[in-house]
Amino acid sequence: MKLENRKYIIILFILIVGVLYSSRLFYMQVIDDTWVLRAQEIAEKRKEILPPRAIVFDRNGRKIVSNKTYYNLMVIEDNVTYLDTVAFGKLINWTPLQVRERFKEIKEGEGVYFNKSSGKKTSNYQTQRAYPFLKELTLDEITTIALHLDNFPGFYEEVTSMRSYPYSNGANILGYLNEVSREEVEGDRFYRPGSNIGRSGIERFYEKELRGRKGIKYVVTSAMNNAIESYANGKYDTTAKQSPGLTLSMDITLQAYGELLMQNKKGCIVAIEPKSGEILTMVSAPSFDPNLLVGRKNISLNYPKLAKDINKPLFPRAIKAEYPPGSIFKLVQALIAMQEGVIRSTSGFPCNKSVVGCHDHPNAAGVAQAVQYSCNPYFYAVVKKIIQQQKKRNNFADAEIGLNLWHKYMNSFGLGNKLETDISGQRPGLIPDSKYYDRIYGHNQWAFSTIRSISIGQGEIKLTPLQMANIAAIIANKGWYITPHFVKSIGKKGPRPIYLKRNQTMVDAVHFSSVIEGMRRVINEPGGTGSDARLEEVVICGKTGTVQNSQGQDHSVFIAFAPMDNPKIALAIFVENAGAGGTWAAPIASLMIEKYLFNKVSNKDKEKLIIETTLSNIRRP
Amino acid sequence: MRKNDSLITNLDWPLFISFITLIIFGMATIYSVAFNEDHPAIFAFSEKYGKQLLWLGISFFVGLLIFLIDADIYRKIAVPVYVITLFLLVIVLFMPPINGARAWLGVGSMGVQPAEFAKIATALLLAKYISELVVKLQTTKTVLLACLIFFIPSVLVALQPDAGTLVVFSSFLFVMYREGLTFDPIILGVLNSIPGMKFKSTWLGSHFIPVLFCFLFLCILTLVLSNTNFQLWFFPNQSFKGSTGIIMTLFVLALLALLFIRQFSAKRDRSRIILVIALGFIITSGITLFVDTAFSSLARHQRDRIELVLGLKEDPDGRDYNRNRAMAAVGSGGAFGKGYKEASVSSLKSNHVPESETDFIFCPFAEEWGFLGSFILVFIYLFMLMRIIYIAERQRLAFNRIYAYCVGMILFYHFAINIGMNIGFAPVIGIPLPFFSYGGSSILSFCIMIFILLKLDSQRKDML
Repeated sequence: MKLENRKYIIILFILIVGVLYSSRLFYMQVIDDTWVLRAQEIAEKRKEILPPRAIVFDRNGRKIVSNKTYYNLMVIEDNVTYLDTVAFGKLINWTPLQVRERFKEIKEGEGVYFNKSSGKKTSNYQTQRAYPFLKELTLDEITTIALHLDNFPGFYEEVTSMRSYPYSNGANILGYLNEVSREEVEGDRFYRPGSNIGRSGIERFYEKELRGRKGIKYVVTSAMNNAIESYANGKYDTTAKQSPGLTLSMDITLQAYGELLMQNKKGCIVAIEPKSGEILTMVSAPSFDPNLLVGRKNISLNYPKLAKDINKPLFPRAIKAEYPPGSIFKLVQALIAMQEGVIRSTSGFPCNKSVVGCHDHPNAAGVAQAVQYSCNPYFYAVVKKIIQQQKKRNNFADAEIGLNLWHKYMNSFGLGNKLETDISGQRPGLIPDSKYYDRIYGHNQWAFSTIRSISIGQGEIKLTPLQMANIAAIIANKGWYITPHFVKSIGKKGPRPIYLKRNQTMVDAVHFSSVIEGMRRVINEPGGTGSDARLEEVVICGKTGTVQNSQGQDHSVFIAFAPMDNPKIALAIFVENAGAGGTWAAPIASLMIEKYLFNKVSNKDKEKLIIETTLSNIRRP
Repeated sequence: MRKNDSLITNLDWPLFISFITLIIFGMATIYSVAFNEDHPAIFAFSEKYGKQLLWLGISFFVGLLIFLIDADIYRKIAVPVYVITLFLLVIVLFMPPINGARAWLGVGSMGVQPAEFAKIATALLLAKYISELVVKLQTTKTVLLACLIFFIPSVLVALQPDAGTLVVFSSFLFVMYREGLTFDPIILGVLNSIPGMKFKSTWLGSHFIPVLFCFLFLCILTLVLSNTNFQLWFFPNQSFKGSTGIIMTLFVLALLALLFIRQFSAKRDRSRIILVIALGFIITSGITLFVDTAFSSLARHQRDRIELVLGLKEDPDGRDYNRNRAMAAVGSGGAFGKGYKEASVSSLKSNHVPESETDFIFCPFAEEWGFLGSFILVFIYLFMLMRIIYIAERQRLAFNRIYAYCVGMILFYHFAINIGMNIGFAPVIGIPLPFFSYGGSSILSFCIMIFILLKLDSQRKDML
């Protein structure tokens, strides 16, 4: 072969490489898409942008929960090429030792989580990832630092938003936010470690409505993990969207006034607009400033203090505390008895003190008078007639039928069960049925005489203040209620359908007039137990209660609604260990009603006395 | 002698145009990859594109000088240039190391790498030496001397260390093959036996250099693809090993060869060629299988060492090594690319692919222009290499021909290894892509190489 022909071998060699490379390129770039995915993994990052949480307004459009901008000082270790700990410490008012400690803390703390599969604590701290070095700085704090950040590579500022409460009221209703747990992060893709979630109250119940829509930004990142530019000019990006505001039924001025009246006392005020079931005010005293639980710094500082406070300010008494209702329960008993036909509105029973104690008053000649005098023997007789209707010859079996019927009536008043509503953390209270007593005494081992203390709202009966207020609303409405609720409207959508539905009780409207008349007399006639609640401009109907308390002084309780002919507010007041219902609860109710209906206070002395008095064994550290 | 003003008519325009096209492509890619918003002008000399442009200016100025000087000079100055280069290669070993290699002469960013110019010097001297031989490369002495010419600089380069340039020096073996190197001189010198004489006259004996390189190429490819799995669209849900892929490719090549022998061979040779093809296929497949099984039967740490040498494993955790990222950049380009300046993986700013302006510059190009651009680029390189071989073969002077072959083989090596390592077909050894990669010495030396070739070719008719 001539040497010249060797060029063909060389050409062949070059062509084979060319063909191989071309087909390889064709395979890699056109057919196989694993490299596209790999490139996305390497260079593109999904950045999630959280919108600020929705604003919460009160019924009059006042902003009661809004957002405040804060700043975090972030650090990416890989980008910290050098760090003068002395100069940096000086900038943030720390010692160099503290700076080093904080670095250690981030490394050991921030990324550490419990790994379920291995059963060990694992750290996923990554040097190229951003971690907050200082959290929740105010604008003033960050501006002094940010000026000098050029000297400290690896550090940068990041904006975050946190809740702020222009009125420092309603803490127990509104709830607070806290950092999500690892389980919550795993359970819901919305959350990332470090994001916030509603922990209680409205913030918790309306979490989904409040958190808004997350924005997603695709960015091209460098090997140092810095964003360089938006991917495909933002074609696939979605913007973060804040949810529309939430309008509460709460009247923040009334709430604030209620909290003022209840200061230095334990107890609650629950006020409902009877026609709509909207909760106007829900005071749980003692209360606290919701701004105390904003942000990690505050929560870690204040939460333990509040939790340890012997007066339990974190305990939402209005929905969680279960109290015996006392005499206000008599109203419901009378209504059931009339509906069952075992008494008429004119039925009279003698005040027979040998059965149960009572104060001195004339014999009640009808329901209205019985309510006015709050006659204990009268209601013993009434409830006995409900429970023992002589449907069976056996007294015990008869009591069982009667009690279960009575229990059904009670349930129709929203008692003994949690209300199906937007109030998280409710307790159901207790309305005993036959099974309940069977467990205590045994089947056919009990009759009315065994359980008679339920007639006057003592014994096993337990209601939450919310349920008590709902009784007032039912009476004001003459037999129906709309489930009490906090949220009037989400955005501009108006009330949710379930808050338009009337819940009918088992008692017909005709039976209410005598009870309402009795409640009018309680306040407006001489000899009524709630005369301290009387107002000139408006007729208030109410009922006092004095709940016997084996633990200490009696609780003072009062429910009322006003005005009598067109009720606009129904409320329950409960003051722990404050004695008779007429002494403290009733005057507080009248102040609340006057404030709400006329936005004024005529009896300044009464107001001053209430504000200044310390009750309920409140202890100050 | 003709005058220089006839240069325009005598210039080999196809080569010149493909050369200029590559220069423009390269410059555009560097501008895209190193783009800095603060200095957007391409003349911004603080930026890499500005510097590259400056070096290109110098290169073309040198090119102008080359065109003005008579081509005769290269035969005359080949020895002194070679000696000076060797001297510089020694000097450079005493320089402070930059990035772990003593490769730079001079200060800061304007330093030069003598190794780049050593290729030209070696090519010139080799051309001179072989062209002046009375007997072709047939005796042990001449072959050893010719080998020594590129062996000395390659040892000096290896001391820097610069593995890439060292490998490139082996390209001169192909040149020697073209000039008549066969299996025999060395073996015969030792044995001088009858079996040796017989083997010399066989097909395998006379073409042993390309055959050797074929086998070497196969072995390296097998190793590089040893832990690769790929899928073929007509065999869904089945993944193939790298070695299977190589054997399948070989099979296709063998079939193609069988189809084409009808046209290219005489009837009486046909049965012999079929046998050669069949044997070739069996032997190459056997080698692939052998290397693959041998490699996978090695102990973990031995495998690691080989992978380290091949550059398959730079990262300690082995998952994110350069090659992988480079391939991600190339592969993500798709059919038509992401668009100019849209290289999200391999731009210098994102820095996911290291050295994306020098050794891995094919990445941003392939990412931006996709398969379309990559294929055009590969095509231009192939065209250029074919043209250089064509030019070489039309020379009347052996010196010109050998020099042209040297240039062609050097470019072929750079092209094959550089693009190979971007697509996972070659080990990661740092050598620049000719006319593309950022770097003054490399661009200057490649330009000088081409300019000298163009000048020699333009005067080919003068030498009577």
